[in-house]
Amino acid sequence: MKKLTPAFANKKMDGLEQGMIPNPEKKSWSRLLKGNSDLPMEILILFLLVQFICCLSSIIFPANFRYLSESNISVLLKAIPVLGIISLGIGLLMIAGEFDLSVGANYTFTGIVIATLVESGLSAFLAAPLGLALGVLIGLLNGFLTLRFRIPSFIATLATMLFWQGMTLLYHGATSIRFYPGDIFTNLMAGQIGLMETSFLWFVALSLVFWAVLHRHKFGNHILAVGGNKQAATAIGINPTRVKLAAFGLAGFCAALAGILAASRVGTIQPGQGAGIELRAIAACVVGGVALTGGRGTILGVFLGAGLIYTIEDILLLLRAPGFYLDIFIGILIAGAAIFNQLVRERMVR
Amino acid sequence: MDARPDTNITPVSAAAPGSGGVGPLLELKGINKSYGPVQALTNLDFHINPNEIIALLGDNGAGKSTLIKLISGLVQPDSGTIMVNGKPTRLNSRRDSEQLGVETIYQDSALVDSMSITRNIFMGRELTNSLGFMQHRKMRQIASEVLQGVVNIRGIDSPDVLVGGLSGGQKQAVAIARAVYFNRKILLLDEPTSALSVRATEALLEYIKKLKEDGVSSVLVTHNLYHAYLVCDRFIVMSHGQKVCDVSRQETTIEELTRYVILE
Ligand SMILES: Nc1ncnc2c1ncn2[C@@H]1O[C@H](COP(=O)(O)OP(=O)(O)O)[C@@H](O)[C@H]1O
Ligand SMILES: [Mg+2]
Repeated sequence: MKKLTPAFANKKMDGLEQGMIPNPEKKSWSRLLKGNSDLPMEILILFLLVQFICCLSSIIFPANFRYLSESNISVLLKAIPVLGIISLGIGLLMIAGEFDLSVGANYTFTGIVIATLVESGLSAFLAAPLGLALGVLIGLLNGFLTLRFRIPSFIATLATMLFWQGMTLLYHGATSIRFYPGDIFTNLMAGQIGLMETSFLWFVALSLVFWAVLHRHKFGNHILAVGGNKQAATAIGINPTRVKLAAFGLAGFCAALAGILAASRVGTIQPGQGAGIELRAIAACVVGGVALTGGRGTILGVFLGAGLIYTIEDILLLLRAPGFYLDIFIGILIAGAAIFNQLVRERMVR
Repeated sequence: MDARPDTNITPVSAAAPGSGGVGPLLELKGINKSYGPVQALTNLDFHINPNEIIALLGDNGAGKSTLIKLISGLVQPDSGTIMVNGKPTRLNSRRDSEQLGVETIYQDSALVDSMSITRNIFMGRELTNSLGFMQHRKMRQIASEVLQGVVNIRGIDSPDVLVGGLSGGQKQAVAIARAVYFNRKILLLDEPTSALSVRATEALLEYIKKLKEDGVSSVLVTHNLYHAYLVCDRFIVMSHGQKVCDVSRQETTIEELTRYVILE
């Protein structure tokens, strides 16, 4: 449409000494810590520190703290992807400035729909894409309610959360449903390659895609802009409704994918299984440095946030601590992460 | 950037066909605009010539911002025509005015605090490959050059700095750098100096003058007559949605302008 020839290039830039242009490759340590890059240093350091301590403890006390045992690693790799994938969707949506409380209900409902389709004879390879499409539709409906009627997404998705929870019971009843998609599908979704779990590979792959979208694609730039300052984004010609709607759809997609992975792993779906997972996903995002107000956050942060929550759960299990300790620790972690992020931001924008 | 076959908007140019090479870049004729019962603009004529800086003066509620929004494509007139290069044109969106070569700079410049300077400069107009992935290195290099170029923003050493950490003046300089890089022909500044320090204001006025040499016309909305008189070539005073005065610098004095603004 237009050639990008800066008006000043011919005149002013000619006399410019090469040395005056800051070296683009130079990144100071303090700048990294100030959080202006795509690298969430704080959570990365915390995550590595926790892993280091766990590994060290496991080497020193191999009998009491079996963190590095094969069975424990496999448990961790199995547990992380479901929450992790939901968190990726929620994280992107939160960065765009919106919430989705209905992802847990979406996760259960789409899982049950897929399971009944498979039970009625449809191939899982056809049922799964249908389920994913349903998840996207549920996400888009949230976006429509929020954006069309200008109500807070917190309220809109609280409503749809209850709606889809009810629909799950209406559609299938309160009993659990079996999920037998066949060996090939199960191995693809919840199989093992050596020590590695395929579900974890899916999580890593999706994280890479989301990373590329948020940090390297122009759509990601629009998400950051709309979440950071909707007025500015609009003034510059970005359509916030379209950007947010797409983020809602992606959150729905992630919820449905997590539902498929969970069902393949366990072989059954409980109508109540999704309860509370939306809050844990939001927790993973907050721990990973995503701002509740939108505009800030990284995919690596969300990835590590989900990983950290499960690592802590795992540590407590290995130490045979009663279950309520988990809630106490996660509570402290969320508050700590939120306070820390706030302090960093205030120092940055000083 | 996306091609739009459905519109026939061409960038403003001083040597447009039919304008004889000396016509206005942009001309508004008989514009009316109301917000419900409030008549914000009444039968307004307005034009921007090549290479001129216009001061848009008038009390609060006079309709200055509405006029700026109209040219930015954010607001549409109830009646009247907008002429570009001698042709009637509809500006239905910010995209349309962008194609025209218009950039608007607000008091709270349209920047995102939580994003880097580079990302802000290219926001909504990212340089991408055919798949839409951003050419980050290229954008960064350009941002780096723009920071050192015509606007020469003091105290910023890297285009990776978050805009939220900049001062008001530095932010506006970034917004202007954006306009400069994208080769805008008309700069609209709606009360850009109200949040600026004295030095930052002087720097801003200096940019506007420099840009005029490069062929960029500006419309400066301000309450400060002294600032306006420093840089502007033509003065337009508005009152209750109407133009009450339109004089060139040669035809007036600061005293006369003061009287107009105060009386109206
Ligand atoms: N979005 C709007 N809705 C209703 N009235 C508006 C709106 N924008 C401006 N107005 C009214 O239009 C008139 C002109 O406003 P404006 O163009 O902002 O004036 P100025 O910028 O000169 O102070 C005022 O009376 C204002 O109250
Ligand atoms: Mg105004």
